[in-house]
Amino acid sequence: MSKVVVNNLKYRYPLTENLAINGLTFEIEQGELIGIIGRNGAGKSTLCAALTGLVPHFFKGAYGGSVHIDGINVKESKLSYISREVGIVFQNPFTQMTGAKETVKEELAFGLENLGVPKLEMLRRIEDALNLLEIDHLRDKNPLELSGGQMQRVAIASILVMHPGLLVLDEPTSQLDPQGTAEVFRAIKKLSNQGMTIIMVEHKIEEIAEYADRVMFLDNGKIVAFDTPTNVFSMNHLEEHGLRPPVFTRVCKGLGIRDLSGLYPVTLSEAVNEVQKFNESD
Amino acid sequence: MKKNRSLWMVKLNTASIALIPAAVAINYIGKLFAETLKLPLWLDSIGTIFAGILGGPILGALSGLINNVIYGLTVSPASAVYGIASIAIGVASGLLAYYGMVGKLWKVIIFGVIVAFVSSIVSVPLNYIYYGGQTGNVWGDAAFAFLNAHHVNIILSSFIDNISVDAPDKIVSSIVAFAVFSVLPKRLITLFDNSQETTTLD
Amino acid sequence: MQNISLYVNKKSFVHDVDFLTKLIYIFVFIAIPIISGSVIIGLLAILISLILHTCAGVLKKLIPIVALSLFVLLSVIIVQAAFIPGYHIVFFSLGPVHFYQEGLIHASLIIVRFLDILLVSSLTVLTTRPSDIVETLQRKGLSHRMGYVINSIFQIIPQMVSSMKTISDAQRSRGMETEGNLFVRVKAFLPLIGPVVISSLVGTRERAMALEARAFSADAKRTYFHEEMKYRYKTPVRIILLLLLVVSIIWRVL
Ligand SMILES: Nc1ncnc2c1ncn2[C@@H]1O[C@H](COP(=O)(O)OP(=O)(O)OP(=O)(O)O)[C@@H](O)[C@H]1O
Ligand SMILES: [Mg+2]
Repeated sequence: MSKVVVNNLKYRYPLTENLAINGLTFEIEQGELIGIIGRNGAGKSTLCAALTGLVPHFFKGAYGGSVHIDGINVKESKLSYISREVGIVFQNPFTQMTGAKETVKEELAFGLENLGVPKLEMLRRIEDALNLLEIDHLRDKNPLELSGGQMQRVAIASILVMHPGLLVLDEPTSQLDPQGTAEVFRAIKKLSNQGMTIIMVEHKIEEIAEYADRVMFLDNGKIVAFDTPTNVFSMNHLEEHGLRPPVFTRVCKGLGIRDLSGLYPVTLSEAVNEVQKFNESD
Repeated sequence: MKKNRSLWMVKLNTASIALIPAAVAINYIGKLFAETLKLPLWLDSIGTIFAGILGGPILGALSGLINNVIYGLTVSPASAVYGIASIAIGVASGLLAYYGMVGKLWKVIIFGVIVAFVSSIVSVPLNYIYYGGQTGNVWGDAAFAFLNAHHVNIILSSFIDNISVDAPDKIVSSIVAFAVFSVLPKRLITLFDNSQETTTLD
Repeated sequence: MQNISLYVNKKSFVHDVDFLTKLIYIFVFIAIPIISGSVIIGLLAILISLILHTCAGVLKKLIPIVALSLFVLLSVIIVQAAFIPGYHIVFFSLGPVHFYQEGLIHASLIIVRFLDILLVSSLTVLTTRPSDIVETLQRKGLSHRMGYVINSIFQIIPQMVSSMKTISDAQRSRGMETEGNLFVRVKAFLPLIGPVVISSLVGTRERAMALEARAFSADAKRTYFHEEMKYRYKTPVRIILLLLLVVSIIWRVL
């Protein structure tokens, strides 16, 4: 069975007319890293909320279809139960800190206290998460006094201690400086390499092209394409849906450089490769 | 503020819970503002009034209560008892907003007067127990002394002492709270409505 | 980050006492003077509290708390002694104003009772860490959601104040007017406060979502990261306090 099974999902926020999500059907396998892209208002954050049960439990509104994570029906389960299965990280590092804890290690313990995890197990999980995200040296610092990148890694760690099987990240780097962004991407890649299933919304298209196994391209609450980065970014008429492909792809499209199967490179290394071949063929 | 929303919803949702610290912080900042500018007002209940308007009497009451617990832990422990008055302010705001004392300036002014009235009624016994009926505010206490000297009943003098200070304060606070409320996006406001239900689409 | 709580982080035998025992102390030390109805007992309670403040090393922090109430206490003396009709024995006069002895006695009763309440509650607040108070109460059944609210306020307020400071420094460097008449000053401060208030309200949405993601609404039996605070002399101290109360009741009745 797939990790995530979404079937004809539809959703409308309270007091609104239009569907924010309009008939999504897809599956995601264990261990995949999925990038979600699309212009502002496409429905990316709404989809993330639906995967974590915030839609409909937090937002209410009108809901149709279904989301199953590891066989659990999200609509029929309580948020606190879903939070063991799916973790979510948002844009703003500051609002993700509980604001009630004075040290990073207490911050990480917050979710575990709520779940009633025994003390020893709690300590073990906190140590693991501190190491994994390379924030061990921050353990006794006040979470609200960290840099953006550090705070965001604490946010990720405080979700990971709950041992979710699926991690959803909604633009985790959009409020970070370049260094913070790099720190967070490194952590995400590490998690992915360890076999974590990850779904990440990201406007930094070059990073998506580099890291994602598959890319889901949303517009107007619908899926425009859900395929490998190469296939998605090689499509024509992307701009009509408000998407600028990665810079390397645009350059190669302009120059007409593509590989044997007619697809354009999407990452720097692929582009370099093709350009070399192109030069040699001259 | 829609009529169909249940007034005494006791189980607050998480958004409402997360609003309480913001409400208390707004009270704090209002107070700081009034002190820094040496305004003749307290402005320390804007957040409580706001929480009542946004989330109803229960949320208003909780915000008021917690506000004074915090006041007790940060400024003056003995004054935490005035939390009872803060609770009354929150409840009154929630009820008044629910029954439509909103929208127009004159309505908001009446809103403020009623809130001041309610908070004074609750404060009088507290003032009496603590200070023999006074408030420690120069103008209010002058009124108290004057009325007492003219043989006005001590409860009534104490009430007048209180409301003469409270009315202007609560009117201004209510106006500010409604101003903030009116600039907030609708989609944020619905999150604090504890009676929302999910409907099915097909 | 600036600390807004009154708690003084020190080591003393007063600090060691657990919060529940301190609550009993508050109750007993407020009740006894009221039950006995004697100013002397009230003064004695105040004296004991003062000694405990000194032992805990928090006397310095007590001064501003008391100073806050000085004005109202002064006002109590003046009004009670000079403006309540029906008193006869003039104690002293300031120009045309007569201060009556009965009024002064009444005022001193009010003041002693007030100071007693103020001191016992201050001692507890000055020597108990707020998050410890919250955790103790949580273990005794306070909803963890309310516990969260109280704890978070201690961080959110300094955070908001410091971001207002950042904005105001920026505006001052751009030549904003913070002096002048009331209207000018109010106008200068609004752009300072407005954005901070609005953003804190808008932030509640994401904060609430983040809390949900951390199982905030779970109804599992909670566990705690911190070990429960244990006070060694809990039982004897509590017994002594309650005995004092019983004795004062008996003394009053007889
Ligand atoms: N709380 C809400 N209430 C009502 N409508 C909402 C709410 N949140 C989002 N919407 C609407 O739903 C649609 C999808 O929004 P969503 O936030 O999912 O977009 P997004 O793809 O995440 O955009 P962005 O890139 O700007 O984050 C938009 O039309 C938006 O205006
Ligand atoms: Mg979004």
